[in-house]
Amino acid sequence: MKSKLVLFFVIITFVVSGCASVTKDQIVAENIATQKVSDPIEPINRVVFSFNNVFDKYAVRPVSILYRGILPEFVRNRIAYSLNNLSMPITTINNILQFEFGKAGISTARFVINSTIGILGFFDPASYFGLEADYEDFGQTLGVWGIPTGPYLILPFLGPSSPRDFTGLLSTSLLDPTYQVGNSANRDLFRSYRMGVGVINFRSENIEIFDDLQNNSVDYYAAVRSFYNQSRNSQVSDNLEVSPSINQDSLFNDFEEFELDDTYIGPDVSISYPE
Amino acid sequence: MKIMQFKKIITLIIFFSSLNTLAFASFESEENFVSDFAASAISILSDEGLNNNDKNIQFTDLVMSSIDMNLISKFVLSRYWKTASDQQKISYLNAFEEYFISSYANKLDQYSGEKIVIVSSEAAKKFVIVKSNIVRDGADTLKIELNWRLLTRDGQTKIIDLSIEGISLIVAQREEFQSFLSNNNESLDALINRLKIINAKD
Repeated sequence: MKSKLVLFFVIITFVVSGCASVTKDQIVAENIATQKVSDPIEPINRVVFSFNNVFDKYAVRPVSILYRGILPEFVRNRIAYSLNNLSMPITTINNILQFEFGKAGISTARFVINSTIGILGFFDPASYFGLEADYEDFGQTLGVWGIPTGPYLILPFLGPSSPRDFTGLLSTSLLDPTYQVGNSANRDLFRSYRMGVGVINFRSENIEIFDDLQNNSVDYYAAVRSFYNQSRNSQVSDNLEVSPSINQDSLFNDFEEFELDDTYIGPDVSISYPE
Repeated sequence: MKIMQFKKIITLIIFFSSLNTLAFASFESEENFVSDFAASAISILSDEGLNNNDKNIQFTDLVMSSIDMNLISKFVLSRYWKTASDQQKISYLNAFEEYFISSYANKLDQYSGEKIVIVSSEAAKKFVIVKSNIVRDGADTLKIELNWRLLTRDGQTKIIDLSIEGISLIVAQREEFQSFLSNNNESLDALINRLKIINAKD
């Protein structure tokens, strides 16, 4: 049943994108085009975003503060490393789907080394052997295949996404081999542990950053949208081995005008320092 | 004939070796600029003899002499800059600079020994991108990608943008301002007021 759902989404994305063979340049051009904000359902997104913020304020954030307060940094780092390690098998699968067989070898080796010498992934000896971490998900694979992101989407509870990334998310949660461990009861428990701890762990590392963003943004919604879109675009162009600077260059096209506009240099700004 | 061939070979060698240097040309002065900036910043942040206020003053002096604040301010406002009145421009530049400074002002004591390691540099149109990693000491293998976008004008190199894990800060700032303006009847005064309100909070 669930896998049919995934198949449905995959087919939909293919159909929507009219996916034929796409060249790397086209994909890059597409990426740049999508950096122009595409958010046709902004009013609905903003409502879901506000709802998520309330959920965050009363549930996720307090738990994250508690998590950070109770567990020493050493323990939290071990949990972060083990979560990273658990994401290696799905990374391998995506490496293969992206035809990156060298990287598939690296992520497999990382998983084997860190799960054994690294004691169930709590430590990261693989990095010392020069096997650097690289994380792939199915959403990125779809991007590499040339499937456009689609419009920006805020999912209830889950936050920023897009049709492409949502499809990727569903596929990842069903295809990930580390979700297939044990009998069905254990599997669900393990899955909830991983998702729950994953969210809390991520949130606990970013408490000040989110607080600050929320309090000091001119438009918090737009700031988060920009961070999300830029981050996903850069992950996909990394996979295509397109330099991030080239990917961002088009955004600086109108720079020249401002550079040449020396008619107004600006006042002598006096800086007042907070006490 | 033989001399001709010899010349050809030499030309080819020169051609390919120059290609080679082009491909691997690194921008030494730009890389030095970034590592000097990082060294100065770290020495201020890790100076235990300074209180927070002193740190803030010294850090702000360093930042303001290293970035092109004028260009950044105009860029993030984008097309709204062109239609602004002189009075609006003055208010905006003042408010934005204060907003910019307050974005890091209370966080300077959070520095915990991170270091900047320069990885490489490349040209990107008229800019030079210096790629670096933020790394932490010790057994920690987590690292953060930090790219510096630099522009040299009139012999002076300035920082235009920082990109953290692929997220450009000035692009994000611009999208935020554009979104605010399009949701507030394109009123620049509303944006300036919003900035002033946020500045007053700190």
